[in-house]
Amino acid sequence: MAADGDEGLKRAHFKGVRLPVLLLLPQLGILLLFFFIPSLRALTQAFLLSDPFGNTVHFAGLDNFTQLFASASYRESVGVTVVFTLAQNALTIAAGLVLAFATDRIIRGRGLYKSLILLPYAIAPVIAGILWAFLFNPAVGPLASLLHAAGIAWDPNRVGSDAMLLVIFAASWKHICYDYIFLLAGLLAIPASLMEAAAADGARPLKRFFTVGLPLLTPTIFFLAVMNFIYGFFEVFAIIDAVTRGGPAGATNVLVYKVFTDGFVNLDLGSSAAQSVILMAFALLMTLLQFRYVERKVNYDA
Amino acid sequence: MNPARRHLLSGAIALATFSLAALSAQAQPIKIQWWHAMGGTLNERVDELVAKFNASQSKYVVVATNKGNYDEVINGTIAAYRAKKGPQLVQVAENTFMTMLLSDAVLPVQDFMTQRNFQIDWKDFVGPVAGFYSYKGKLMAMPFNSSTPILWYNKTHFEKAGFAKPGQTWQELEKQLYSIKQKGISTCGSSLAGDYYWSLLENYSAINDLPYATKSNGYQGLDTEFVYNKTLVVQQVARLKKWVDDGVMQIAGQGFSPEQLLTSGRCSTFVASTANHASIEANAKIDWSATYLPYEEGRTPKNSTIGGAALWVLKGSKPAEYDAVAAFLDFLVKPETQVWWHKATGYVPATDKAYQIAKMEGYYNAKPTREIAILQLGRGAPTANSTGFRWGNFTQTRFAQREEFDAVLAGKKSPQEAMDASVARGNEILRQYEKLNKGKY
Repeated sequence: MAADGDEGLKRAHFKGVRLPVLLLLPQLGILLLFFFIPSLRALTQAFLLSDPFGNTVHFAGLDNFTQLFASASYRESVGVTVVFTLAQNALTIAAGLVLAFATDRIIRGRGLYKSLILLPYAIAPVIAGILWAFLFNPAVGPLASLLHAAGIAWDPNRVGSDAMLLVIFAASWKHICYDYIFLLAGLLAIPASLMEAAAADGARPLKRFFTVGLPLLTPTIFFLAVMNFIYGFFEVFAIIDAVTRGGPAGATNVLVYKVFTDGFVNLDLGSSAAQSVILMAFALLMTLLQFRYVERKVNYDA
Repeated sequence: MNPARRHLLSGAIALATFSLAALSAQAQPIKIQWWHAMGGTLNERVDELVAKFNASQSKYVVVATNKGNYDEVINGTIAAYRAKKGPQLVQVAENTFMTMLLSDAVLPVQDFMTQRNFQIDWKDFVGPVAGFYSYKGKLMAMPFNSSTPILWYNKTHFEKAGFAKPGQTWQELEKQLYSIKQKGISTCGSSLAGDYYWSLLENYSAINDLPYATKSNGYQGLDTEFVYNKTLVVQQVARLKKWVDDGVMQIAGQGFSPEQLLTSGRCSTFVASTANHASIEANAKIDWSATYLPYEEGRTPKNSTIGGAALWVLKGSKPAEYDAVAAFLDFLVKPETQVWWHKATGYVPATDKAYQIAKMEGYYNAKPTREIAILQLGRGAPTANSTGFRWGNFTQTRFAQREEFDAVLAGKKSPQEAMDASVARGNEILRQYEKLNKGKY
């Protein structure tokens, strides 16, 4: 991945080994404290059966893992996570694209428009979650009563798919602005000459967007897809906790939330650790995939 | 400044510092940490309680810290204990009893107090409270905030429908709630509490004297197995499902508190802890009252079981600190303290003496609903089915049960299927616990 140019850069800046190592130390220290040590502990815990206080510990071998794969609720959680992440991914990118495209067409009040779109990013996830939960609360929520008035039997407290929709929308709403910024930057980076040439050939704005803009945006979309996956897998904890707590009947119990409830509510540390090891492996895989395929295929010079 | 003066001055400073140090060393009280889960108004009450103790003597200082809800407190405690920085005293919910008991991390409270020569009338603790926290005849943790579910109701709704008060049995209550709805008096007969598994399933089982699990609900051994899928509990689940389907029962859901459905005048009843007294008294915009939980027609109602939490003494501290803990616990169970706590919060008094004092003062004449929980807890002699529930990984088994109950409400499973699955999942969790703790109970 490191091009020759990069290596030249490195050689030019660092003559010895000492300085770069010294400069790396703080970052390595942070990684050690917040990544390596916890990961190692999770890794050992995953093979143990222990009481939460750690005074009674049995070696469990692969029991935690076999039990996990045998458990219906874990398989359900995997399914839920896949559905949630895919839907959230599609929704955020699509909405981000529409908004970014529209930004291009807006002449007056563009600044205001942009700030409005970016606002949700400034709201803490828990607050966002509580807002959504309240607005769509079937007993008291104003938007829920609108749905009821429209004849839709909306009840996320009982119906799993309603709850799923709710968390997908809440999580996407919170993340659209992130995708939007990248897509907008991507659109702006497309040379004006290309668009003008297309316009001169008689392509209307929508056609220009689909035939010129979108293909040139693919690197950005690839990148965002990976980022959205990571967001969907690891960063939606607060929203799930505030909107559904994984319910009803586990319908929104995504993997990362299950790690939390099993470990920190149910105090089943072994199973929780096994789950986090699997999640960790998955995160590694995603990162590798990103570097190997996505980054390589990206052609920034288009 | 001349040298002599400077010398004098520094000497004076040294003397002052020295005497100050000596003074503070002498008067320095021993500090202990108490982690608790009392939030909101209850947190203020705890702070008052601790302030009272700290002001009552000068040897010890108790520092009370709210570490979040029960789950967060136990998690924080476990992490701190493993890092050898745990508090001396920690408030742990009733369902975590077994986890604490077999953790090897605690000092059983009755022996702890006896060793430090505190004379406490252990026989005076209210039956179901002592029953829940005792092991081999001795209290393992100090009962602190004990509650039990009662039936809260909107008086106006019942009167308008022509009922003096809620019926005593589930059958009567059901008729009333349907009638209230039909007459258009309220759109919702009952609000489903967040801890319904405790109030409407576990307590339902105890009150109707039904076995929840084998081995006397777990008291006789770790090899206990759930059996509530073979009892009236299944019928109770079906009843709740029917109520929800018919719009007689509402689920508040996330972002909204079930209690508000009652206090705002929307729902006619609410089954929840007596500890809600403080907030209902403060927030209700309605003419409310409370009564006993209903029971099944044709059965003799037994006592309900407790909820809430007890205080556990953690291992690993210095003797002087333990003296402070003992002094504080002794203060806590004094009848005066208990009466104050009872009145300030709505929790039941832990001892009979405290109850008698409140009664003699005529407290219940003015506030009759405050007595319901105590009377309900003391109703009849506790049986093997109503003494309490004792199994490890309790939170986990409840979690499985809640998921299955959700599946019933969603119409994915029948009540029988769901309770069968809930029992099967629960038993797996119990076996895991048994495997880990074999020979320890």
